[in-house]
Amino acid sequence: MGLQVGTLKMTMDEIAADVVRDFGGDLENVRVQEPDTIVARLAREKLKDVATRLKAHPDLAYETLNWIAGVDLGSQLESVYHVFSWRTNTWIELHVAVPRAKAEVDSVTGIWPAADWHERESWDMVGIRYLGHPDLRRILLKDDFVGHPLRKDYVDLAENHPHV
Amino acid sequence: MDLLLDIIRLVVSVVIAYVVVFAAALANIVFERRTLAFMQDRHGPNRVGPHGIFQSVADAFKMMGKEDFRPALADPWIFTLAPIMVMIGAVAVQLTMPYTKGFTPADLNVGLIYIVAVTSFTTMAILLGGWASRNKYSLVGALRSAAQMVSYEIPMILALLIVAMVVGSFSLDAVVDAQADYRWIALYMPFTFLLYAIAAIAELNRGPFDLPESESELVSGYGTEYSGMRFGMFFLNEYAGMTIMSMVAVTLFLGGWHGPFEDALVVGGVAIVPLVWFLLKTYVLVFALVWVRLSIPRLQVDQLMAFAWKVLIPLGLLNIALTAAVMLWVPRWRWGLFVVGWVSFFAFVGLLDPILKRRLRKQRERVPVVTS
Amino acid sequence: MFDHFATPEPDEAVKLALRRIEERAAAGHGSDMEGLAFNEVVVNMGPQHPSTHGVLRLVVTLDGELVKDVIPVIGYLHRCKEKLAEKRTYYQYIPIVDRTEYVAGMNCEWAYAMTVEKLMGIRPTRRAEFIRVIVGELSRIASHLVAVGTFTADLSPLGTAMVFYMFRDREKVLDLLEEVSGARMMFNYFRFGGVRYDLPDGWVEKCRDVMKGMPKLVEEYESLVDDNAVFLQRTVGKGVITQQDVMDYGITGPNARASGVELDLRRTRPYSVYPELEFEVCTAQHGDIFDRYRVRMEELRQSVKIIEQCLDMLPRGPVQVGSLRAPYVITPPPGSCYVGQENPRGEYGTYIVSDGSRYPYRLKFRDPCFCNLQLFPKLLRGTKIADAVAISGSIDLVLGGIDR
Repeated sequence: MGLQVGTLKMTMDEIAADVVRDFGGDLENVRVQEPDTIVARLAREKLKDVATRLKAHPDLAYETLNWIAGVDLGSQLESVYHVFSWRTNTWIELHVAVPRAKAEVDSVTGIWPAADWHERESWDMVGIRYLGHPDLRRILLKDDFVGHPLRKDYVDLAENHPHV
Repeated sequence: MDLLLDIIRLVVSVVIAYVVVFAAALANIVFERRTLAFMQDRHGPNRVGPHGIFQSVADAFKMMGKEDFRPALADPWIFTLAPIMVMIGAVAVQLTMPYTKGFTPADLNVGLIYIVAVTSFTTMAILLGGWASRNKYSLVGALRSAAQMVSYEIPMILALLIVAMVVGSFSLDAVVDAQADYRWIALYMPFTFLLYAIAAIAELNRGPFDLPESESELVSGYGTEYSGMRFGMFFLNEYAGMTIMSMVAVTLFLGGWHGPFEDALVVGGVAIVPLVWFLLKTYVLVFALVWVRLSIPRLQVDQLMAFAWKVLIPLGLLNIALTAAVMLWVPRWRWGLFVVGWVSFFAFVGLLDPILKRRLRKQRERVPVVTS
Repeated sequence: MFDHFATPEPDEAVKLALRRIEERAAAGHGSDMEGLAFNEVVVNMGPQHPSTHGVLRLVVTLDGELVKDVIPVIGYLHRCKEKLAEKRTYYQYIPIVDRTEYVAGMNCEWAYAMTVEKLMGIRPTRRAEFIRVIVGELSRIASHLVAVGTFTADLSPLGTAMVFYMFRDREKVLDLLEEVSGARMMFNYFRFGGVRYDLPDGWVEKCRDVMKGMPKLVEEYESLVDDNAVFLQRTVGKGVITQQDVMDYGITGPNARASGVELDLRRTRPYSVYPELEFEVCTAQHGDIFDRYRVRMEELRQSVKIIEQCLDMLPRGPVQVGSLRAPYVITPPPGSCYVGQENPRGEYGTYIVSDGSRYPYRLKFRDPCFCNLQLFPKLLRGTKIADAVAISGSIDLVLGGIDR
């Protein structure tokens, strides 16, 4: 019958325990956000590796990327990944800190195809460069737009949109 | 003296042809818009004149008042020529129509062949216009139009051949004469009529065969770059075509001007009552055209082609063979054709639908949704 | 001389399409015609095109009638909603949420209200919950009517008839919503901890009347196209979304359910009073255009069922937490959270980062159409143009949500 939701009955605490057991070395600050999300921090060097393992995990199997959000936290940027596990019917939210000076992080398009446009959007809006993305163009704004508007230090100037 | 009469006759005929074409086009536009509106539970144009009957006149004036605009990259000559050419077919067919008893502008002895020949002119114009526009939508629309014409001309000719076989002449007057006393060809060869009707709708580029200008795919197909009166000519031709194809169908299959009280009112050698029958029958068919357009979704190019080449043409050929056999070997062949015609008509109508649906069901099973 | 008609410089998307053609030609997949390097043309479908339902632009590479490649270009309706959130209080932002997926505004507001409520840790009153479900489902009916109507209109004038029938009946639903909220599309009706107004007098009976007539109307629509051989030929077995696609691309809503995936947040991640209500998650087995249409029609029936139950169960009480006057300035504690909600098109949610001030620090929409649109290139490659139009109609996109 294929795809079904929530075939594996696990409580959030059990899932959190599993996550800590299998990914404890890489994920920091693992906590449960009621009712059904696990939130964790992650160093950006480990993102690709952890993502691959999260997807391939035999029980949890975080297979579907829901969305990616770029957030400007002032001192640093953050790339937030929201991933869905069909088997347990729960989500995991990965916060990856990205330094302002070198806003680069590995692309996860190879692991979760859905990441393609979300990464482009994050690049467009917040200016996080996703390394290894097949086609990192602006998506919502024009091709010749200058700057990344959702950064807190963005100042809107006429020069930023030359064709208006 | 005879020459002078001929010239007067010619001028009158041409004027009538033009008047009929334009009047029919304008009338059909309003007729269709109001009918569609009625079927779609809305009002339609109802402001200009009583019940909006002058709407298309107003539209025509508006179009004439528009800027004569040509895209910079378009081919100037052909772009201008195409809208002029597009009306030729419609007007030329008018010249051979037997409107009523004793009035046929030009009774050609090759009338049937002539009709087939001149109606293709429209497609030529569409092809030229689409090509000259230098627009990709126009080009695709024009090519679709050409492909469609080439495919559907054949079943149409196959249907017309049968008419010629039964009547024994290519002359339209002879065809009408052969249908006197309610021996309408459609009554004893409904299947042939159906074949002709399908092919004619396709020739007209009307829904469900309106692929050349299918607005949801190709914006407006070959007419994308046309505006103002140039567009108006294409538009008028399309709607004049409705009347003309219906007139041809009435003449060939529905007894032409024949009907009760043929000699009740004769003015100057022209019978009026048959003219009324002729127009009445024509407009019943025009209404049917509107109705068909509303109730059948647009076909897809490959389906359209498959329908012509895999269904209509083999059936048309088979139909010719059957008709010929009946006429050769059955003594009272009209009754024989009656039986064959109605049986094949119901078989076609009844079987096409279930066969299509069965094929679709099978096709559907072949594409798996579950992959892992 | 200034040339008014000069062809503009191709933009990045067109350049990409041209580059891909050249790559294909170099790899030997170009033309099969003698002497031609490639016979593929790049056509811009949109942003002004009769069948793109908004301002979606598809850069389509055509080989005759065949679609070789599709590059969707979005952003023509970008209205900086996420940026606007930085300078609007939580309360001021509600009407802007309406304008994301404008066809189902109530559901969008609901998702936003739910997120803020979760941040604040408040729960709406019970009566408000029921009213929310009622208006949300009414909104879903209105939205599905638009979706199916415009999709069939892409196929034919028959569909145009369908559009008129559906809009005629959508009018009744919109009248109901107008009486409740004062607006027909941009409702501004949800408040944190409840809804803005209670139901007006006599509204419940009126709603019941409309709902009683609805199943018959749905039957009328179905009688128009369900058994039409040409309609079936255009829709059956085409544009199949497989379950793997659903998993890879995060497809949600009726599009996922048509592929046999029982993913309905009203059931799988229950919110509001949905656990108390009886309804079925509508699924189909083949994932083609026809199934997506069928799922939407079935959902119309289920929504009617839900609304009727809610009208029966509707409790008395306040429709707002605390005083009737809404708190105009709220300051959620610092933190972030995401709540998804079942919009007519799929999972619609907002992710809000709060820094404890009056304004959302960062607000992001998770829009179902944005995710569904990603699948387009894969879905359309190898189809005919006509198929492409039918498929894009059946996916049901709302550009307000995609472009934000």
